[in-house]
Amino acid sequence: MTRWFEEIVTNEPIALGSHTFTEQEIIRFGKRYDPQYFHIDPEAARHSHFGGLIASGWHTVSVGHRKMVDRLEAEEETVRAEGGTPGVSGPSPGVNRMDFKAPVRPGDTVSYTLTVTGKRASNSLPGWGLLFNLIEAHNQHGELVYSADLVGFSKLRDYRMPLRLRLAMALRNIPGIGKVFRR
Amino acid sequence: MPNPITHDRRYFEDLAEGETFALGPMKVTKTDIIEFATEFDPFPFHLDEKAAKQSLLGGLAASGWQTGGLSLRMLVDALLSRVASMGGLGFAGLKWKRPLMKGDTLSGTATITSLRRSNSRPEMGILTVAFDMHNQRGEQVMTLNLANLVEVRNPGAGAAQ
Repeated sequence: MTRWFEEIVTNEPIALGSHTFTEQEIIRFGKRYDPQYFHIDPEAARHSHFGGLIASGWHTVSVGHRKMVDRLEAEEETVRAEGGTPGVSGPSPGVNRMDFKAPVRPGDTVSYTLTVTGKRASNSLPGWGLLFNLIEAHNQHGELVYSADLVGFSKLRDYRMPLRLRLAMALRNIPGIGKVFRR
Repeated sequence: MPNPITHDRRYFEDLAEGETFALGPMKVTKTDIIEFATEFDPFPFHLDEKAAKQSLLGGLAASGWQTGGLSLRMLVDALLSRVASMGGLGFAGLKWKRPLMKGDTLSGTATITSLRRSNSRPEMGILTVAFDMHNQRGEQVMTLNLANLVEVRNPGAGAAQ
């Protein structure tokens, strides 16, 4: 989130926008990352229980991630335009749960929603907070396409690093010694 | 009528818990990383070396979603394209342990940890596979438990467990 960790509101759904999947992009993603016949070959896919070509779940989810990144960057622009300093989002430690509920077919429009369901300071990464994010994707018929529980890092605004850690960080930055510390 | 695409592949009954498949290896280039990130994960730390150095990642690293996608591709090549797959159900326990950096080589194993018949769909079985992905130094990069549907050859034989 580009709001600071302290300002992030929980249990408030945020619309991330939608994406219409074309047959061409479904096949292109499938060929690279998930070349099962029902993701890459419309003719062969007719024999599957899906009855036709469907997007790889990994594709649908990757587009959902893109939607989230776009939303964060747009929010960052807004904060800067208002003269504020945006918060900092970090990499994600993982995904606790991902359920694929309905297939995505060529021409389907998928809308994504993000809800922060909880937050706490990280135990392993001083100065950072953890966000528990629920992502839900629905198709144009209102059917749930997938639902997922993701975890994200967000920088704490009001954090002061303890002296012990500041020393350790300083040592890490010394060439030679730093390498040993990073192990 | 049997599915003409998958009729000669391995069915649910042909799989065994504990079976392990070698995945990869595959080297990941800067071009691969930027190509994926441009489309799906355009955070500066996946697109720009300077921004990446200053981030938590410490250098240009693949999007976690790309690391997962490449691992999935390896599983398709090793297993899913050889079984009567009926698509993915979902996954759990996806942990990005360490970033996959520019020039790293990804490899790992996938182990069948569970096989059970679907309660509601007698023609489907649920295959669970545990991924254990590493870089070229043997450091763990990602773990993931993937659930995938596989067609049952003889749905009538033996009730769902």
